[in-house]
Amino acid sequence: MAKTFAVIGLGRFGSNIAKALAEKGFDVMVIDSDENEVREFSEIVTNSLVLDATDERALKEAGISDVDVAIVSVGQNIDTSILITLLLKELGVKYVVVKAVNDKHGKILQRIGADKVIYPEREVATRLAESFVSPKIFDYIELSPTHSIIEIAAPKEFVGKTIRELALREKYRVSLIAIKRRIPIITNKGTPDFKEEINISPAADDEIQEGDVITLLGKYEDLERIERL
Amino acid sequence: MKKKKNSSCQDHIELAQFYMLNQKYQEAIKHFKIALEIKPDAQVYYQLGLAYEASNEISLAQEMYRKALELDKTLNEAAEHLKNITT
Repeated sequence: MAKTFAVIGLGRFGSNIAKALAEKGFDVMVIDSDENEVREFSEIVTNSLVLDATDERALKEAGISDVDVAIVSVGQNIDTSILITLLLKELGVKYVVVKAVNDKHGKILQRIGADKVIYPEREVATRLAESFVSPKIFDYIELSPTHSIIEIAAPKEFVGKTIRELALREKYRVSLIAIKRRIPIITNKGTPDFKEEINISPAADDEIQEGDVITLLGKYEDLERIERL
Repeated sequence: MKKKKNSSCQDHIELAQFYMLNQKYQEAIKHFKIALEIKPDAQVYYQLGLAYEASNEISLAQEMYRKALELDKTLNEAAEHLKNITT
């Protein structure tokens, strides 16, 4: 049987989780005190409610006890997240996941019964750091917590294909910004060397060649898929 | 006998350089390596480094530039490439 989820707090993290779960076909209930945030979800998820999640009775009436997993992500407000976590456990929610903003917050959450404490900012930072030591990534610029620009050796699968054939935007949801290519030359001294040519905003008919370095813009997870090719 | 060895070494270098200029780096790497097995040479290590660098094998490129510099400290182009890819 499919799991049912409740997402409490529709900030950036909460709303992304709720959307992702709904897209995967799960039953999702979203809760936020801000009517505007909730309204956005009315057609995406199974159940969208405007209520104060620190109100025990309101939570009970919403049927929170029946969900399998509750995800609490109420931004920077530590007191509220602690209170909600406590209520959820008291109401019998089997698995409560809470977003913590720092170590102290995380420790308290664990102590009052949170089943899993997550630190999204820290986790993203660690993953970025890991990707940075990957030998295939030459440069990296973080644009926002979700998007970045990477300079990466063109994967073998891309070699010999045109930009049109690759259809990066359709297949990987990333944009190709530039292709850097080393052109072998013979120097005045008669020794081989190469010069670098940069093709900014390449045309659809341009082809990726062996040894090319490509600059891509996209979401972290989409860029990671290309990195793994 | 010695002469034949040298000419075969030179053949591989020339072949590798030909592949290099045509951006067939994997082929170039293969022939540079054969040439180096016959006779280690700073200039050939440097060129093998270039082929690795061109195919984005940065750590191998560094290794080859270092080997080139071990054999010939005055090989400025190797020092320069090594500096560029290390920073």
